[in-house]
Amino acid sequence: MKKRETTKLFAPILGAILALGGSAVHACEVKVGVVGPFSGGAAQWGVAMKSGAELAAAEFNAAGGIPTDKGDCKIRLVEIDTQYSAQGAAAAANSLANEGVKVVLGPVGSPEVSGIKPVAARHRMLLMVNSYAKDAIGPKWPLAFHVSPGASGWALPIVRKAKERYGMKNVTIIAPNDQGGTDIAPVVAEAYTAEGIKTKEEYFQRGTADFTALVTRVLASKPDAIDLVSSPTVESGTLAKQLRVAGFRGPIGKLGGPGTEEIARIVGGYEALGDYYYFEPIVVDEEALKMRDAYKELTGKDSPEHTFFYLWGAASRLVFQAMKEAQSAQDSEAIAEKLRALDVKDPNIGEGLWIGQSFFGINQELSLPFGMGFVHNGQVEPLIKMPAAVDK
Amino acid sequence: MDTFLLALVIGAMFSAQYALIALGFTLVFGILGVVNFAHGSMYMLGGYVAYWSVSTLGLPYPIAVAIAVLFTGLLGALIEILLVHRIVEDHLSTLILTLGVSLVIVTGVSLIFGHEAPQFTFPIAGSIPLGPAYMPLDRLIVMIVSGVAILAVYLLIFRSAFGRAVRALSIDQSIARTYGMNPRVLFAVTMALSSGLAALAGALVTPILSLSPHAGESVLLTAFVVVILGGLGSIIGATWAAVITGMIQSFAGIYVGGSLGTLLLFVLVIAVLTVRPSGLFGAPARGA
Repeated sequence: MKKRETTKLFAPILGAILALGGSAVHACEVKVGVVGPFSGGAAQWGVAMKSGAELAAAEFNAAGGIPTDKGDCKIRLVEIDTQYSAQGAAAAANSLANEGVKVVLGPVGSPEVSGIKPVAARHRMLLMVNSYAKDAIGPKWPLAFHVSPGASGWALPIVRKAKERYGMKNVTIIAPNDQGGTDIAPVVAEAYTAEGIKTKEEYFQRGTADFTALVTRVLASKPDAIDLVSSPTVESGTLAKQLRVAGFRGPIGKLGGPGTEEIARIVGGYEALGDYYYFEPIVVDEEALKMRDAYKELTGKDSPEHTFFYLWGAASRLVFQAMKEAQSAQDSEAIAEKLRALDVKDPNIGEGLWIGQSFFGINQELSLPFGMGFVHNGQVEPLIKMPAAVDK
Repeated sequence: MDTFLLALVIGAMFSAQYALIALGFTLVFGILGVVNFAHGSMYMLGGYVAYWSVSTLGLPYPIAVAIAVLFTGLLGALIEILLVHRIVEDHLSTLILTLGVSLVIVTGVSLIFGHEAPQFTFPIAGSIPLGPAYMPLDRLIVMIVSGVAILAVYLLIFRSAFGRAVRALSIDQSIARTYGMNPRVLFAVTMALSSGLAALAGALVTPILSLSPHAGESVLLTAFVVVILGGLGSIIGATWAAVITGMIQSFAGIYVGGSLGTLLLFVLVIAVLTVRPSGLFGAPARGA
């Protein structure tokens, strides 16, 4: 009886120890940093990016994980909020370095990218970033990759189509007065100028909530169209709303970060938005929508509506594939080598290529098919799928 | 001349908005001695409560604004009674505490309503022509409400028994107590008033501009600039500073561009603080 009781007492403990020991053997994991704005005005970009990375990680984990010298390891994402600031991104990189992380997805904005690059370079981290800065990537940063082309890749074909539709002769470009705006506005302006359209640039202090004075100033020059380029979504929505309230009836462009639905909501609906043309990094067609279903199935959560989810899902898949082929999560140079050599072919987004040599001096810019959208008289038209941008 | 008149009208619109936002902020500092970092989040919360009342409960907008003021005012009173009052004499602790409260409110709103901006527009459109300028009706309503609020707060603080009591408490709490004044109640009412004013501004202004969980951040900065320029704790100072700030932002924004307007404002603040460290209307800093 006593023996039976002893057995009863110790059997579960022994079982638990064995289970723990067993799980320890199989609990091999590799850490990948996910860095972006998960709070603040740019949170939707960061949240969508994080969800894309979660999808790719869940897919690779379901398929066995990343082979390393310790066996097949599961990917664990280490997520750090930058609050869309350079200092936040630099602090995130330092924190990840302390955890031994060598591969980082994000951040998503120019100020953050400027902050993270020196720290990441010091710790030999591979970065997959999004930024419209002129020096987002380059020979100086051999381990930094660009998740999609900047305006230099897609602005011209979009401007061409917008001109065909609206025939504008002069455009005012409004952007924030930091690197997130001052690096992209001149590139977009160049595309308009190349099409024979006169351009004027206006800048505002990031964080501005009320644009009445700026709108008055801009409208005094009677532009045919106004392009909000890389202005964050909430600011873009407020600007568009105030432009319409002030009586501007011309087309409003957004040749920068996405967020059309939110912008339309802020303005008061698509009807109030009127004529609008915009860049979309990804065309969310039936194939792309399968990523949503996969995310729901693998994580049990609904994916964000933002197109960054699809873009970062595709980019994260490529990074994890490179890790798989390099059989490492630590040897960032070997992973970078594999990444450069990978064929860009995403099952949901389509075929693309690596570009960037002509603008950045390094071929590390992921170019996938992108989209251009029109809202005409308040009616949303189907996105036009444009082929992946190629190097000039 | 046309542009000048336009800048003047826009400056007046800005001034009314800033005065409404700064009023509650300066009131809490003047009476409780608390630099309330949660003021911006109360503005944002006021916007969300009004939005929720309109979109979910289907209530008319004016009632939604009233609900936003009452709900946020009550929340402000609770925060004062349960959290701030215990440490009201420790200025650094109240500063950190209100910052924490702000983070909790912003995170809570993000969890309930999501990170993205909802569709929330002012129910009245249109404008009144003023020569070459125009005055949007929504802004006119904000100006009228702001004027009434400033007058009401002034009368409450300087012409009522309640005002005399809270001013007495702000000068010397121990003597005021001996005269039967209860800081527990009066401070809570002051905090409720301040939060309610922030919510009133939020419920009126966010449908004109935009509503998002972080809408209060720039508002907090504006409130800081206005009350520092006017003199921390001074209601009259905050009102005049709101006019100065609004006019600078309007004229600089129209004549020299958006970026330089902000720069000019901060140059003015630095210049004023260099000459008059306690602000234009220099109410002396006080402790509760």
